[in-house]
Amino acid sequence: MIEVKYFGAVAEKTKCEFEKLSFSEEVSLQKLLQDLNEKYAFESLTFRVAVNQKIVSKTSDYTLQTSDIVALLPPFAGG
Amino acid sequence: MNADNRYNRQIILPEIGENGQQKLAAAKVLVIGAGGLGAAILPYLASAGVGEIGIVDHDVIEVSNLQRQVIYKTDAVGKSKAKEAKVMISDLNPLVKVKAIAEKLSGKNALSLFYNYDIIVDATDNIAIKYLINDACLVANKPMVYGSIFRFQGQVSVFNYQDGPTYRCLYPEENLDTLNCEEAGVLGVSVGIIGMFQANEVLKMILGIGEVLSGKILVYDTLHNEQQKYDFDKSDFQTISREAFEEKYNKAEIEEVNFEFVLDEINKDEILFIDIRNIDESPKISFKNQIQIPLMNLEKEIERLDKNQVIYVFCQSGIRSKIAVELLQKHRFKNIKSIAGGALAMKQLLTTEINL
Repeated sequence: MIEVKYFGAVAEKTKCEFEKLSFSEEVSLQKLLQDLNEKYAFESLTFRVAVNQKIVSKTSDYTLQTSDIVALLPPFAGG
Repeated sequence: MNADNRYNRQIILPEIGENGQQKLAAAKVLVIGAGGLGAAILPYLASAGVGEIGIVDHDVIEVSNLQRQVIYKTDAVGKSKAKEAKVMISDLNPLVKVKAIAEKLSGKNALSLFYNYDIIVDATDNIAIKYLINDACLVANKPMVYGSIFRFQGQVSVFNYQDGPTYRCLYPEENLDTLNCEEAGVLGVSVGIIGMFQANEVLKMILGIGEVLSGKILVYDTLHNEQQKYDFDKSDFQTISREAFEEKYNKAEIEEVNFEFVLDEINKDEILFIDIRNIDESPKISFKNQIQIPLMNLEKEIERLDKNQVIYVFCQSGIRSKIAVELLQKHRFKNIKSIAGGALAMKQLLTTEINL
Protein backbone atom coordinates (compact mmCIF):
# COMPACT_ATOMS: atom_id res chain seq x y z
CA MET A 1 0.00 0.00 0.00
CA ILE A 2 1.23 3.42 -0.93
CA GLU A 3 -0.20 6.35 0.97
CA VAL A 4 -0.78 9.58 -0.93
CA LYS A 5 -1.41 12.81 0.99
CA TYR A 6 -3.06 15.83 -0.58
CA PHE A 7 -2.78 19.41 0.56
CA GLY A 8 -4.38 22.77 -0.19
CA ALA A 9 -5.89 23.23 -3.63
CA VAL A 10 -4.86 19.67 -4.58
CA ALA A 11 -7.04 18.24 -1.78
CA GLU A 12 -9.92 20.36 -3.08
CA LYS A 13 -9.63 18.49 -6.38
CA THR A 14 -9.26 15.03 -4.88
CA LYS A 15 -11.97 15.73 -2.28
CA CYS A 16 -9.93 13.76 0.26
CA GLU A 17 -6.82 14.44 2.32
CA PHE A 18 -5.20 11.09 1.79
CA GLU A 19 -5.78 7.72 0.23
CA LYS A 20 -4.08 4.35 0.22
CA LEU A 21 -3.45 2.76 -3.12
CA SER A 22 -2.36 -0.76 -3.85
CA PHE A 23 -0.72 -1.89 -7.05
CA SER A 24 -0.40 -5.43 -8.33
CA GLU A 25 3.00 -4.72 -9.84
CA GLU A 26 5.87 -2.29 -9.37
CA VAL A 27 4.94 1.29 -10.02
CA SER A 28 7.14 4.28 -10.68
CA LEU A 29 6.53 7.73 -9.21
CA GLN A 30 5.91 9.06 -12.71
CA LYS A 31 3.27 6.41 -13.38
CA LEU A 32 1.54 7.15 -10.07
CA LEU A 33 1.42 10.86 -10.88
CA GLN A 34 0.12 10.13 -14.34
CA ASP A 35 -2.65 7.92 -12.92
CA LEU A 36 -3.59 10.53 -10.34
CA ASN A 37 -3.70 13.21 -12.99
CA GLU A 38 -6.03 11.09 -15.11
CA LYS A 39 -8.24 10.42 -12.12
CA TYR A 40 -8.40 13.98 -10.76
CA ALA A 41 -7.50 16.25 -13.70
CA PHE A 42 -5.03 18.48 -11.85
CA GLU A 43 -4.45 20.38 -15.10
CA SER A 44 -2.82 23.75 -14.40
CA LEU A 45 -2.47 23.19 -10.64
CA THR A 46 1.07 23.79 -9.45
CA PHE A 47 2.42 21.40 -6.83
CA ARG A 48 5.61 19.71 -5.71
CA VAL A 49 5.86 16.05 -4.88
CA ALA A 50 7.49 14.59 -1.79
CA VAL A 51 8.33 10.96 -1.16
CA ASN A 52 8.84 10.14 2.51
CA GLN A 53 9.12 13.82 3.49
CA LYS A 54 11.65 14.65 0.81
CA ILE A 55 10.67 16.83 -2.15
CA VAL A 56 11.76 15.25 -5.41
CA SER A 57 11.44 16.01 -9.12
CA LYS A 58 8.18 14.79 -10.66
CA THR A 59 10.22 13.24 -13.41
CA SER A 60 12.68 11.49 -11.13
CA ASP A 61 13.23 7.85 -11.88
CA TYR A 62 11.96 6.23 -8.71
CA THR A 63 10.16 2.95 -8.14
CA LEU A 64 7.73 3.27 -5.27
CA GLN A 65 8.13 0.88 -2.36
CA THR A 66 5.22 -0.40 -0.30
CA SER A 67 4.88 1.81 2.77
CA ASP A 68 6.14 4.88 0.89
CA ILE A 69 4.25 8.06 1.65
CA VAL A 70 3.82 10.44 -1.24
CA ALA A 71 2.64 14.03 -0.68
CA LEU A 72 1.36 16.56 -3.22
CA LEU A 73 2.19 20.05 -2.04
CA PRO A 74 0.77 23.09 -3.82
CA PRO A 75 1.88 26.63 -2.91
CA PHE A 76 -0.40 28.58 -0.57
CA ALA A 77 -1.00 32.30 -0.92
CA GLY A 78 -3.20 33.45 1.95
CA GLY A 79 -2.02 35.63 4.76
CA MET B 1 11.55 52.11 32.41
CA ASN B 2 13.48 49.08 33.55
CA ALA B 3 14.35 47.12 30.44
CA ASP B 4 15.75 44.19 32.43
CA ASN B 5 12.48 43.72 34.21
CA ARG B 6 10.47 43.96 31.02
CA TYR B 7 12.40 41.08 29.47
CA ASN B 8 13.13 39.16 32.68
CA ARG B 9 11.12 36.03 31.82
CA GLN B 10 13.05 35.45 28.63
CA ILE B 11 16.42 36.59 29.96
CA ILE B 12 16.26 33.89 32.63
CA LEU B 13 16.10 31.27 29.88
CA PRO B 14 19.63 29.85 29.66
CA GLU B 15 19.41 29.91 25.85
CA ILE B 16 18.79 33.67 25.85
CA GLY B 17 20.29 35.52 28.82
CA GLU B 18 21.55 39.13 28.74
CA ASN B 19 23.58 38.33 25.68
CA GLY B 20 20.55 37.11 23.75
CA GLN B 21 18.59 40.17 24.79
CA GLN B 22 21.34 42.38 23.39
CA LYS B 23 21.16 40.46 20.11
CA LEU B 24 17.42 41.13 19.97
CA ALA B 25 17.95 44.83 20.68
CA ALA B 26 20.48 45.04 17.85
CA ALA B 27 18.26 43.24 15.32
CA LYS B 28 16.40 44.92 12.48
CA VAL B 29 13.42 43.11 11.03
CA LEU B 30 11.26 44.16 8.08
CA VAL B 31 7.74 42.74 8.02
CA ILE B 32 6.02 42.94 4.67
CA GLY B 33 2.27 42.86 5.08
CA ALA B 34 0.41 43.95 8.20
CA GLY B 35 -2.56 41.65 7.61
CA GLY B 36 -3.42 38.37 9.33
CA LEU B 37 0.15 37.04 9.52
CA GLY B 38 1.61 40.43 10.35
CA ALA B 39 -0.92 40.93 13.14
CA ALA B 40 0.48 37.81 14.85
CA ILE B 41 4.15 38.45 14.08
CA LEU B 42 4.45 42.15 14.93
CA PRO B 43 3.33 42.21 18.58
CA TYR B 44 5.53 39.23 19.47
CA LEU B 45 8.63 40.67 17.83
CA ALA B 46 7.97 44.00 19.53
CA SER B 47 7.28 42.56 22.98
CA ALA B 48 10.42 40.39 22.79
CA GLY B 49 12.45 43.56 22.26
CA VAL B 50 13.54 43.39 18.61
CA GLY B 51 15.38 46.72 18.26
CA GLU B 52 14.05 47.94 14.97
CA ILE B 53 10.92 46.91 13.09
CA GLY B 54 9.82 48.11 9.67
CA ILE B 55 6.25 47.54 8.47
CA VAL B 56 5.40 47.68 4.78
CA ASP B 57 1.73 47.81 3.87
CA HIS B 58 -0.14 50.18 1.58
CA ASP B 59 -3.62 48.96 2.54
CA VAL B 60 -6.19 50.55 4.80
CA ILE B 61 -8.06 48.60 7.47
CA GLU B 62 -11.41 47.19 6.38
CA VAL B 63 -14.09 45.86 8.68
CA SER B 64 -13.73 42.38 7.09
CA ASN B 65 -10.07 42.33 8.21
CA LEU B 66 -10.89 42.50 11.91
CA GLN B 67 -11.78 38.80 12.43
CA ARG B 68 -8.11 37.90 11.88
CA GLN B 69 -6.06 41.09 12.00
CA VAL B 70 -6.49 41.36 15.74
CA ILE B 71 -4.13 44.28 16.38
CA TYR B 72 -6.64 46.72 14.86
CA LYS B 73 -9.61 48.21 16.64
CA THR B 74 -13.02 48.73 15.10
CA ASP B 75 -12.69 52.51 15.10
CA ALA B 76 -9.48 52.23 13.03
CA VAL B 77 -11.39 51.09 9.95
CA GLY B 78 -10.29 53.24 7.03
CA LYS B 79 -6.87 54.03 8.53
CA SER B 80 -3.48 52.91 7.21
CA LYS B 81 -2.48 49.45 8.41
CA ALA B 82 1.22 50.31 8.56
CA LYS B 83 0.57 53.42 10.64
CA GLU B 84 -1.90 51.74 12.99
CA ALA B 85 0.48 48.80 13.47
CA LYS B 86 3.20 51.29 14.37
CA VAL B 87 0.95 52.87 17.02
CA MET B 88 0.20 49.41 18.44
CA ILE B 89 3.91 48.55 18.66
CA SER B 90 4.85 51.85 20.28
CA ASP B 91 2.13 51.38 22.89
CA LEU B 92 3.23 47.82 23.53
CA ASN B 93 6.96 48.50 23.74
CA PRO B 94 8.27 52.06 23.42
CA LEU B 95 11.85 50.73 23.38
CA VAL B 96 11.34 49.46 19.82
CA LYS B 97 12.18 51.78 16.95
CA VAL B 98 9.36 51.39 14.42
CA LYS B 99 9.04 52.60 10.89
CA ALA B 100 5.71 52.53 9.05
CA ILE B 101 6.14 52.32 5.29
CA ALA B 102 2.67 52.84 3.81
CA GLU B 103 3.77 51.94 0.29
CA LYS B 104 3.20 49.02 -1.99
CA LEU B 105 6.31 46.88 -2.18
CA SER B 106 7.64 47.00 -5.73
CA GLY B 107 10.78 46.47 -7.76
CA LYS B 108 11.51 50.14 -7.21
CA ASN B 109 11.56 50.24 -3.39
CA ALA B 110 12.31 46.61 -2.43
CA LEU B 111 16.10 46.64 -2.59
CA SER B 112 16.62 49.98 -0.87
CA LEU B 113 14.29 48.87 1.94
CA PHE B 114 15.82 45.40 2.32
CA TYR B 115 19.37 46.72 2.65
CA ASN B 116 18.36 48.44 5.91
CA TYR B 117 17.24 45.26 7.68
CA ASP B 118 18.74 41.91 8.72
CA ILE B 119 15.70 39.70 8.26
CA ILE B 120 12.79 40.04 5.84
CA VAL B 121 9.45 38.53 6.83
CA ASP B 122 6.96 37.65 4.13
CA ALA B 123 3.54 38.21 5.69
CA THR B 124 1.85 38.93 2.37
CA ASP B 125 -1.15 37.32 0.77
CA ASN B 126 -0.26 37.11 -2.87
CA ILE B 127 2.05 34.94 -4.90
CA ALA B 128 3.50 37.60 -7.18
CA ILE B 129 4.79 39.59 -4.17
CA LYS B 130 6.33 36.44 -2.71
CA TYR B 131 8.46 36.03 -5.84
CA LEU B 132 9.42 39.72 -5.67
CA ILE B 133 10.43 39.36 -2.00
CA ASN B 134 12.37 36.19 -2.79
CA ASP B 135 14.24 37.79 -5.67
CA ALA B 136 15.00 40.98 -3.75
CA CYS B 137 16.24 38.89 -0.79
CA LEU B 138 18.59 37.07 -3.15
CA VAL B 139 19.98 40.31 -4.56
CA ALA B 140 20.25 41.98 -1.13
CA ASN B 141 21.47 38.72 0.47
CA LYS B 142 18.86 38.62 3.24
CA PRO B 143 16.96 35.66 4.70
CA MET B 144 13.22 35.51 3.99
CA VAL B 145 10.84 34.11 6.57
CA TYR B 146 7.92 32.76 4.58
CA GLY B 147 4.41 31.96 5.73
CA SER B 148 1.14 31.39 3.93
CA ILE B 149 -2.26 29.90 4.41
CA PHE B 150 -4.81 27.88 2.52
CA ARG B 151 -8.00 27.60 4.57
CA PHE B 152 -7.06 25.38 7.58
CA GLN B 153 -3.52 24.65 6.43
CA GLY B 154 -0.41 26.75 6.55
CA GLN B 155 3.16 26.64 5.29
CA VAL B 156 6.27 28.07 6.94
CA SER B 157 9.86 28.12 5.74
CA VAL B 158 13.01 30.23 5.82
CA PHE B 159 14.56 30.93 2.45
CA ASN B 160 18.01 32.15 1.47
CA TYR B 161 19.30 31.56 4.99
CA GLN B 162 23.08 31.21 4.98
CA ASP B 163 23.01 30.54 1.26
CA GLY B 164 20.25 27.95 1.67
CA PRO B 165 17.43 27.15 -0.77
CA THR B 166 15.00 29.85 -1.91
CA TYR B 167 11.30 30.09 -2.65
CA ARG B 168 12.09 29.46 -6.30
CA CYS B 169 13.87 26.22 -5.37
CA LEU B 170 10.56 25.10 -3.84
CA TYR B 171 8.20 26.57 -6.42
CA PRO B 172 10.06 27.51 -9.62
CA GLU B 173 6.92 28.16 -11.65
CA GLU B 174 5.13 31.42 -11.02
CA ASN B 175 1.55 30.18 -11.00
CA LEU B 176 -0.34 33.31 -10.07
CA ASP B 177 -3.75 31.62 -9.77
CA THR B 178 -3.22 30.44 -6.20
CA LEU B 179 -6.07 31.54 -3.92
CA ASN B 180 -5.57 34.03 -1.08
CA CYS B 181 -7.65 34.44 2.10
CA GLU B 182 -10.13 36.82 0.56
CA GLU B 183 -10.97 34.25 -2.09
CA ALA B 184 -10.55 31.03 -0.12
CA GLY B 185 -11.73 32.10 3.34
CA VAL B 186 -9.81 31.68 6.59
CA LEU B 187 -10.30 31.49 10.33
CA GLY B 188 -8.32 34.05 12.34
CA VAL B 189 -6.57 31.47 14.51
CA SER B 190 -5.11 29.66 11.48
CA VAL B 191 -3.24 32.74 10.24
CA GLY B 192 -2.34 33.52 13.85
CA ILE B 193 -0.70 30.11 14.33
CA ILE B 194 1.33 30.39 11.12
CA GLY B 195 2.35 33.98 11.91
CA MET B 196 3.51 32.78 15.31
CA PHE B 197 5.66 30.09 13.69
CA GLN B 198 7.23 32.83 11.56
CA ALA B 199 7.91 35.07 14.58
CA ASN B 200 9.49 32.05 16.27
CA GLU B 201 11.86 31.51 13.32
CA VAL B 202 12.80 35.21 13.37
CA LEU B 203 13.65 35.10 17.08
CA LYS B 204 15.60 31.82 16.69
CA MET B 205 17.67 33.30 13.87
CA ILE B 206 18.48 36.43 15.86
CA LEU B 207 19.32 34.46 18.99
CA GLY B 208 21.15 31.68 17.17
CA ILE B 209 19.21 28.96 18.96
CA GLY B 210 17.48 25.82 17.74
CA GLU B 211 17.31 24.75 14.16
CA VAL B 212 16.13 27.24 11.54
CA LEU B 213 13.56 25.97 8.99
CA SER B 214 15.99 26.30 6.11
CA GLY B 215 15.69 23.75 3.29
CA LYS B 216 12.51 22.52 4.95
CA ILE B 217 8.90 23.48 4.59
CA LEU B 218 6.61 22.98 7.54
CA VAL B 219 3.00 22.24 6.69
CA TYR B 220 0.53 22.63 9.53
CA ASP B 221 -3.05 21.41 9.52
CA THR B 222 -5.12 23.12 12.19
CA LEU B 223 -8.13 20.82 11.82
CA HIS B 224 -6.19 17.68 12.69
CA ASN B 225 -3.28 19.24 14.59
CA GLU B 226 -0.93 17.53 12.21
CA GLN B 227 2.38 18.94 11.21
CA GLN B 228 4.82 17.67 8.64
CA LYS B 229 8.22 18.86 7.55
CA TYR B 230 9.40 18.29 4.01
CA ASP B 231 13.02 18.67 2.94
CA PHE B 232 13.95 20.33 -0.32
CA ASP B 233 17.24 21.06 -2.05
CA LYS B 234 18.81 24.18 -3.38
CA SER B 235 18.52 24.48 -7.13
CA ASP B 236 21.46 25.97 -9.00
CA PHE B 237 19.19 27.67 -11.48
CA GLN B 238 17.33 29.82 -9.02
CA THR B 239 19.75 32.69 -8.48
CA ILE B 240 19.15 36.21 -9.72
CA SER B 241 21.62 39.01 -10.41
CA ARG B 242 20.99 42.69 -9.75
CA GLU B 243 20.76 43.25 -13.51
CA ALA B 244 18.24 40.45 -13.98
CA PHE B 245 16.22 41.85 -11.06
CA GLU B 246 16.09 45.32 -12.60
CA GLU B 247 15.21 43.85 -15.97
CA LYS B 248 12.39 41.75 -14.49
CA TYR B 249 10.82 44.26 -12.14
CA ASN B 250 11.83 47.72 -13.28
CA LYS B 251 11.43 47.58 -16.99
CA ALA B 252 10.15 50.98 -18.04
CA GLU B 253 6.62 50.86 -19.28
CA ILE B 254 5.94 51.88 -22.82
CA GLU B 255 3.47 54.68 -22.85
CA GLU B 256 1.03 54.98 -25.70
CA VAL B 257 -0.93 58.06 -26.58
CA ASN B 258 -3.84 58.64 -28.94
CA PHE B 259 -2.99 61.14 -31.65
CA GLU B 260 -6.09 63.22 -31.01
CA PHE B 261 -4.73 64.15 -27.56
CA VAL B 262 -1.51 65.53 -29.04
CA LEU B 263 -2.95 67.20 -32.13
CA ASP B 264 -2.36 70.65 -30.65
CA GLU B 265 1.32 69.80 -30.19
CA ILE B 266 1.85 69.69 -33.92
CA ASN B 267 4.12 72.51 -35.10
CA LYS B 268 5.27 73.32 -31.57
CA ASP B 269 9.05 73.68 -31.59
CA GLU B 270 9.64 72.20 -28.16
CA ILE B 271 7.95 68.93 -29.19
CA LEU B 272 9.33 66.37 -31.65
CA PHE B 273 7.47 63.75 -33.66
CA ILE B 274 9.63 60.98 -35.14
CA ASP B 275 8.40 58.87 -38.04
CA ILE B 276 10.40 55.65 -37.74
CA ARG B 277 8.98 54.09 -40.92
CA ASN B 278 11.12 53.46 -43.96
CA ILE B 279 11.29 56.29 -46.49
CA ASP B 280 9.12 54.45 -49.03
CA GLU B 281 6.14 53.87 -46.74
CA SER B 282 2.91 55.77 -47.20
CA PRO B 283 0.75 57.61 -46.34
CA LYS B 284 3.30 60.38 -46.03
CA ILE B 285 2.92 62.49 -42.94
CA SER B 286 4.76 65.73 -42.59
CA PHE B 287 4.56 68.81 -40.47
CA LYS B 288 7.02 71.30 -39.08
CA ASN B 289 8.18 69.50 -35.90
CA GLN B 290 8.34 66.05 -37.47
CA ILE B 291 11.40 64.19 -38.70
CA GLN B 292 11.91 60.78 -40.21
CA ILE B 293 14.48 58.30 -38.91
CA PRO B 294 13.84 54.71 -40.01
CA LEU B 295 13.92 52.32 -37.05
CA MET B 296 17.02 50.55 -38.35
CA ASN B 297 18.96 53.83 -38.25
CA LEU B 298 17.57 55.09 -34.95
CA GLU B 299 20.38 53.86 -32.73
CA LYS B 300 23.02 55.31 -35.06
CA GLU B 301 21.38 58.71 -35.14
CA ILE B 302 20.48 58.82 -31.48
CA GLU B 303 23.08 61.53 -30.81
CA ARG B 304 20.99 63.97 -32.84
CA LEU B 305 18.18 63.77 -30.33
CA ASP B 306 17.64 65.53 -27.02
CA LYS B 307 17.07 63.07 -24.16
CA ASN B 308 14.92 65.52 -22.23
CA GLN B 309 12.67 66.56 -25.08
CA VAL B 310 9.06 65.40 -25.32
CA ILE B 311 9.12 62.97 -28.26
CA TYR B 312 6.23 61.15 -29.92
CA VAL B 313 7.23 58.18 -32.04
CA PHE B 314 5.04 56.73 -34.76
CA CYS B 315 5.21 54.00 -37.38
CA GLN B 316 2.56 52.61 -39.72
CA SER B 317 0.22 51.03 -37.17
CA GLY B 318 1.79 51.51 -33.74
CA ILE B 319 3.79 48.28 -33.32
CA ARG B 320 7.31 49.19 -34.43
CA SER B 321 7.06 52.52 -32.63
CA LYS B 322 6.90 50.63 -29.32
CA ILE B 323 10.22 48.99 -30.16
CA ALA B 324 11.60 52.45 -30.87
CA VAL B 325 10.29 53.75 -27.52
CA GLU B 326 11.94 50.83 -25.73
CA LEU B 327 15.21 51.56 -27.51
CA LEU B 328 15.11 55.24 -26.62
CA GLN B 329 14.21 54.48 -23.00
CA LYS B 330 17.21 52.18 -22.84
CA HIS B 331 19.30 55.18 -23.86
CA ARG B 332 17.73 57.11 -20.97
CA PHE B 333 15.33 59.26 -22.95
CA LYS B 334 12.79 60.51 -20.46
CA ASN B 335 9.65 61.68 -22.26
CA ILE B 336 8.96 59.21 -25.04
CA LYS B 337 5.53 58.04 -26.10
CA SER B 338 4.32 55.87 -28.93
CA ILE B 339 1.36 57.04 -31.01
CA ALA B 340 -1.37 54.38 -30.96
CA GLY B 341 -2.49 53.25 -34.39
CA GLY B 342 0.49 54.94 -36.07
CA ALA B 343 0.40 56.86 -39.35
CA LEU B 344 -2.83 55.24 -40.47
CA ALA B 345 -4.73 56.65 -37.49
CA MET B 346 -2.90 59.98 -37.78
CA LYS B 347 -3.64 60.45 -41.45
CA GLN B 348 -7.32 59.90 -40.87
CA LEU B 349 -7.42 62.47 -38.11
CA LEU B 350 -5.27 64.96 -39.99
CA THR B 351 -7.51 64.91 -43.05
CA THR B 352 -10.71 65.27 -41.06
CA GLU B 353 -9.54 67.74 -38.41
CA ILE B 354 -7.14 70.01 -40.21
CA ASN B 355 -6.07 70.16 -43.76
CA LEU B 356 -2.33 70.19 -43.84
